[in-house]
Amino acid sequence: MTETAARWSTVAHQEQPETKVRLRFPRLFWLGLVILLLYGIIGLFAPVLAPHDPAAFDGKPLEYPSANHLLGTNDIGQDLLSEIIFGARVSLLVGITASAVSVVIATLLATIAAYMGGWIDAALMRVTDLLIIIPRLPLMILLAAYAGASLATTILVIGLLGWPQLARVVRAQVLSLRRRPHVNAARLFGASAPYVIRRHLIPALLPILAAGFVTHAGHAAMMEAGLAFLGLGDPTMKSWGLTIRYALNVKGFFFGDQWLWWILPAGFNLAMLLMAFAFVGIGLEAVANPRIRRHR
Amino acid sequence: MLEIRDLHVHYHPAADDTSARPVRALDGVSLRVEHGEALGIIGESGSGKTTLALALMGLVRGARVHGEVYLHGQRLPLTDEASMRQWRWLRIALSFQSAGSAFDPVYTIGEQVVEPIRTHLRFSREAAIARARDLLRQVGLPAERFDHYPHQLSGGEKQRAMIAMALSCDPELLILDEPTAGLDVLTRAALVDLVLRLRERTRMAMIVIAHDLGDIARLCDRTAVLYAGRMLEIGSTTEILDDPAHPYTWGLVNAYPLITRTKDLWGIRGLAPDPADPPRGCRFQPRCTQSIEECCQKVPSLGEPAAAYGKNQRLVACHRGGLLTMLSVDGLRKVYRCRGRQTVEAVRNATIQIREGEVVGLVGESGSGKSTLARLIVGLEAPDAGSVRFEGEELAGRRLSELARRRIQLIFQDPYEALSPRLTVMELIREPLDIQRIGSRRDREDRVREVLAAVNLPTQPAFLGRYTDGLSGGQLQRIAVARALVLQPKLIIADEPVSMLDASESAKLIRLLKRLQNERGMAMLFISHELALVRKVADRIAVMRNGEIVEFRPSHLVLSAPRHPYTQSLIAASQALLAPMPMTLVSDERSLVHS
Repeated sequence: MTETAARWSTVAHQEQPETKVRLRFPRLFWLGLVILLLYGIIGLFAPVLAPHDPAAFDGKPLEYPSANHLLGTNDIGQDLLSEIIFGARVSLLVGITASAVSVVIATLLATIAAYMGGWIDAALMRVTDLLIIIPRLPLMILLAAYAGASLATTILVIGLLGWPQLARVVRAQVLSLRRRPHVNAARLFGASAPYVIRRHLIPALLPILAAGFVTHAGHAAMMEAGLAFLGLGDPTMKSWGLTIRYALNVKGFFFGDQWLWWILPAGFNLAMLLMAFAFVGIGLEAVANPRIRRHR
Repeated sequence: MLEIRDLHVHYHPAADDTSARPVRALDGVSLRVEHGEALGIIGESGSGKTTLALALMGLVRGARVHGEVYLHGQRLPLTDEASMRQWRWLRIALSFQSAGSAFDPVYTIGEQVVEPIRTHLRFSREAAIARARDLLRQVGLPAERFDHYPHQLSGGEKQRAMIAMALSCDPELLILDEPTAGLDVLTRAALVDLVLRLRERTRMAMIVIAHDLGDIARLCDRTAVLYAGRMLEIGSTTEILDDPAHPYTWGLVNAYPLITRTKDLWGIRGLAPDPADPPRGCRFQPRCTQSIEECCQKVPSLGEPAAAYGKNQRLVACHRGGLLTMLSVDGLRKVYRCRGRQTVEAVRNATIQIREGEVVGLVGESGSGKSTLARLIVGLEAPDAGSVRFEGEELAGRRLSELARRRIQLIFQDPYEALSPRLTVMELIREPLDIQRIGSRRDREDRVREVLAAVNLPTQPAFLGRYTDGLSGGQLQRIAVARALVLQPKLIIADEPVSMLDASESAKLIRLLKRLQNERGMAMLFISHELALVRKVADRIAVMRNGEIVEFRPSHLVLSAPRHPYTQSLIAASQALLAPMPMTLVSDERSLVHS
């Protein structure tokens, strides 16, 4: 150090303030968002878009694609294109509501656990660990089978079992947030725990919750398809999983070329939807998670 | 020897104006001066010091004097001009304030000293001249000054001549009214030495009136404190100056410049009361930081101070027994357990007290436990042992939401972190009020604007609606200060409040903090590793090392005569960094000296 530097070294350096990071989403995020919006529109306007009532028997069984039935008909003469279009509804509905249930539970339990600490934290986290360890699908099948097949059951079963991983992430985040000086400052003004959680923690958690919500919605949509495929869904709801199930029930199905317009579209749409959710989720997470953000 | 009982001096305004209230220059002062004792009287200008001297001499004109004064058991006829002549000069002599104008410019000094000797002692002219020459020699004036006119003498010489005149009739009591006012330090020191020598030789009793505490400290055994015509405190000079009990004395002593005192001097907040219309109850109450309802209602009488103070004949007129200890931290201990059995003792047996209205600096290297101590005091962490008492109430181990906690506010080190980026300036500062549900929304917003103005920030809606990311570090820290103020705390704990700011912003913020602390009558614990900063604001400095307070004394003593080796090394290290002044200045000075 030069002499001058030594002489003045007690002068504090001005730290550059960390200005708000410009949110830059990866390109895949936008792709995923466009696909999601597309499915959203299809689901929303299904009655208008669908050429036929998917429940009506207005064709011959196992028709080949034609101008009237673009994707042909199933074994009982229902229009397959309409079935696919209405299937988007179920997938989105279950995905979004079940994910919402998971996110709310995860947020509540995680913030309470992390903020309170001590034995409350320990107890809640052991329950979380337990749920993470138990294989999800078998448990879900079991529960769905016992609870009976209905849309509400599907949503609840998926939602109630989907929160543990997110809870872990949120808890870690709250643990670091609650030590922040501005949160401590609020406590010094006499703020109660609900106030701090509502006013300081939840707003700070929103990006992570949004990312978690989208990712979970994708998972939930897939779970729904899985349950429907196994026959544990509402048999009256035209969902993609159910479409595949019915197709596979037809004897000697794969000997013909029906699978091209019966199974393939359903599988393709399901894959597209999950991919879209994943893209959006990854994009949000890239922005929300400080650790990923720093490495970019 | 001298006893003053309940002395009142009220100046009445012009007789035709009956509506005007009398000016109460002295309002019930009682004190005693023992044989051979020197009593100091201190107080701000206008506190009644000079009136007391004049009253003892029977020289107050146009005033009503009540009360009794006894000298050797004989009552002084204070209001009887004719009989007072028997006392004046002969038994009680006064060396007037501003000796310059007390002499008659048309007579020589010699003639003026001779005059009282002839009139009071009835000496012959020759004998009187001989005595006057002797007196002038005694006070250290050269012989030729006898024939000089007052304007030919310097200020110090006139003061000496004045003392010679006061001594002319060997009085039993000598009153020195501001003997050194307006004199330079060397002259002052010589004059004080002279008075000490005279006192040693004559063993007469003295009353020294001065606003210079340094003179009082050297000359007086006991000291009384006057304020607005009343006596607030009396006791041994050492105790009064080193450990003042009355809030006023404390303020007065702390405003006194010492060569080793490095903090900025601020004086006592507010102004002395109008003597024609003094406040009810305690006269100091409007400026006091610890006044309670009783202080506004009842006049406090002199009594023993609280237990924390030395009691060497000390009396203090304060309903609360003197300056209160606001925060008392006792044997505080905090152990952090990290990974298994390993423990770190962040704070061990820390003991510190902060008095009402006081700024205590807490210094120590990083990791010495300063911040942990702050967090323990405010309650962000729970101590493992020890107690934290705030205004007598135990806080350790109690919930953060307790009322008492609100009166202690913490200013964090990093304003970027301490202020939520999601709230606007208005929301940030209003938050404490929102949480406490104080007042209507409108009241809250008014208070936000008030504290913003107090920290010199704009109060326009455009600023109130801004978020923190566009503001500078200095502005943010001011916002943090404003937010801490909005609940009107009694104690501010500032944990490294300027370490994130550049030198200029940091200087401004420190001055702001000190001003607010002084104006609002708060106490402050100023935490910093920077001794150079702490010494600018702290009344007392606590040095912390390895979780322990190793030294805790008045800051000028810590800085000029550190006791603990750690403090010594801390000061040495700061000096090594700060001492080399810019070389250009040094060489300039050298060339000046040589030419």
